[in-house]
Amino acid sequence: MLSLENITKRYGTLTALDGVSLQIETGEFFGLLGPNGAGKSTIMSLVAGLRAPDAGRILLDGEPLSAARPEARAGLGLVPQHIALYPKLSAEQNLRIFGQLYGLGGAVLRDRVNEGLEAMQLADRRRDPVNTFSGGMQRRLNIIAALLHRPKLLLCDEPTVGVDPQSRNAIFEFLEKLNREGLTVIYSTHYMEEATRLCSRIGIIDHGKIPALGTLDELLLKLPFEEEIRFPRSDATAALVAQLGAHGAVEPGDEHYRFRPQPGYKLSNFYQLTESLGLPARLFTSQRPTLEALFLHLTGRNLRE
Amino acid sequence: MRTILVLVRKDFANFFRNKAAVSLTFAVPFALIWLFGLVFGVNRTDSGPSDIPLAVVNASTNPGAEKLIQALQAEKAFKVITKFVADDKSERPLREADLTTLMRANEFRSAVVIPEDFFSERSFGLHLKVYTNPRNEIETQLVNGILQKTIFSNVPQLLGQSLLASGRGAIGAERMNNFNQAIAENVAHNFGGDPAEIRKGIEQGNFGTGGLGGMGASGDPLISRVIRVESVQVVGQDVKSPAATRIVGGWAMQFLLFALSAAATALFSERDNGIFHRILAGPVSRAQILWSKFVYGICIGMLQLITLFLAGRILYGIDVEHHIGLLLLICAFAAAACTSFGMLLAAISSSQEAASGLATFLILLMCAIGGAWFPVTLMPEFIQHVSKLTLVYWAMEGFSQVLWANASFMELLPTIGILGAITAIVMSIAVWRFNRGNIFG
Repeated sequence: MLSLENITKRYGTLTALDGVSLQIETGEFFGLLGPNGAGKSTIMSLVAGLRAPDAGRILLDGEPLSAARPEARAGLGLVPQHIALYPKLSAEQNLRIFGQLYGLGGAVLRDRVNEGLEAMQLADRRRDPVNTFSGGMQRRLNIIAALLHRPKLLLCDEPTVGVDPQSRNAIFEFLEKLNREGLTVIYSTHYMEEATRLCSRIGIIDHGKIPALGTLDELLLKLPFEEEIRFPRSDATAALVAQLGAHGAVEPGDEHYRFRPQPGYKLSNFYQLTESLGLPARLFTSQRPTLEALFLHLTGRNLRE
Repeated sequence: MRTILVLVRKDFANFFRNKAAVSLTFAVPFALIWLFGLVFGVNRTDSGPSDIPLAVVNASTNPGAEKLIQALQAEKAFKVITKFVADDKSERPLREADLTTLMRANEFRSAVVIPEDFFSERSFGLHLKVYTNPRNEIETQLVNGILQKTIFSNVPQLLGQSLLASGRGAIGAERMNNFNQAIAENVAHNFGGDPAEIRKGIEQGNFGTGGLGGMGASGDPLISRVIRVESVQVVGQDVKSPAATRIVGGWAMQFLLFALSAAATALFSERDNGIFHRILAGPVSRAQILWSKFVYGICIGMLQLITLFLAGRILYGIDVEHHIGLLLLICAFAAAACTSFGMLLAAISSSQEAASGLATFLILLMCAIGGAWFPVTLMPEFIQHVSKLTLVYWAMEGFSQVLWANASFMELLPTIGILGAITAIVMSIAVWRFNRGNIFG
């Protein structure tokens, strides 16, 4: 559906995207996961036609997308990072304006405004000015405004920044429902949890490059370990750490150690060792590795740095 | 106290990081003072106005008329126009019949006619006609004052000539010559001197009445009795509320420029809150955004001008209703020109603060140069030329033509055309810049 071919984008001397290639299929919920400044918003703005790439090309359904052809973007919907609404106008007025810009009118527009407000539980506040809404409500309205024209591809640029958990869940459920109904979604975030929950495929992005791309399982396979065991830092566990070095990587944190065993190292061997050192089993928690660990492994940096 | 100092330091740090604020505080006042000095001629070594166009029609054959014209030409305040230039560039002496048309076209706003009966052989005294278009009160009063000074300082000699002409009419030329010869010989005999030189002086009207020149003021009863100045107001004689009608154009333009620049710079708030991202991601182009603001600006500008003229009608009795059609037309073109100016500011500025600072600077400058505060004709000649490049000048010209001169559509057309051209050029630059600039900050 959407194809980015060897895209490069520079802002002065800064290379925001460096030869990025991506292929997104119809019906996918594709996540772009990376820290601030990684290049997520640049990809969004290039696909949305807000900026033009310095090199490479972008195709939507085989047709080139460019800033000079606004009509080609009729099938796109953008949920910007900002709450891009007119704050003094009511929710309904905002939606009507954005719908009309896409050529909607009459009963069709009225029905879509009503549907959107109902779906996001904002129908009872439809006539209130947007600046009287909570941050979460504004975020929800921000999403509805991008969907009125029934786009084929929805670009969500960090749509939950600063949102309360209740609104975040409402947004997730709404987007998941739309995706089930066939909408293709590109979702940029620096929250690992969001990418894990929502996305069928994830591209890890950092410094304008995509070092890893795939489903969650495919990505986690790139880690040189399958499990991660956490335990507190103490004098008692110091002896354990000294012996674990031969069997995997031990990463010290502020209060905890993280042990990532080498492939093939059995957890039963680990627990035998802890037993021999007299350390109780309750000190240890085993967990599946996360995207955060993958990011750290790939880039040497934390997602939130 | 320490807390206050920390906060003060913070404000200074913020201030010096804000280039727009720094330039507004330091550079702009310097530039404005320099430019205002230029506009008002502060640096000139001579004082007073110069080169105000003054038409002079000479219908008299008397040599005294030529002397008066020479005196007017010698006055630095005036640029004396005595020729009529036809469309084919051919020239002929200006006639009294030309004046009304040329003054309505604003070629000049004051004219002196030296009529055939400037000197009369039937009566003692001089006759002059002064035509005025008192569109600008300051200018009119100034011109009248200088005109009177020039005429009256030449009056004593002219009066002598008038006396001779009157004598010739009464007793005949031959007897008058004999009389002058007798007087000259008598003066030479009693007081010394050459009788021929004395007679020459007498025939030139030099009766030793030079002291009268010092009394050259319009209120002087002697002068007033012997000089008959006929005043003809060519334009604006039927205007009901002249004082308010004269200044309303300048007010209108200042209000309009400030309001529409503010409306245009509101583009920045739409950029900053991401509205541009949303609508440009759809089937909307950058130029469409700018044109929508342009149309909105014209509507708001028209509403503001209508409100302003309505207030002028209610409070000062400005005659709006008899000019409503052309007034709306010139309002639309003035609003369009002002809006395009605001659009250009928004398109070339990097932030709302920078645009506001630039707007303040340029609006004050255009109002000063364009004549919103001070008559353009009283400014240095160079500034008078620059003035015609400003939209303020042409918009004010349009308002004056409609409200003061009761101009017809055809008479207004050139002014509308110029405002339209300014709008087209400025908007083209704004759209070009907006299409290529970084509008996402």
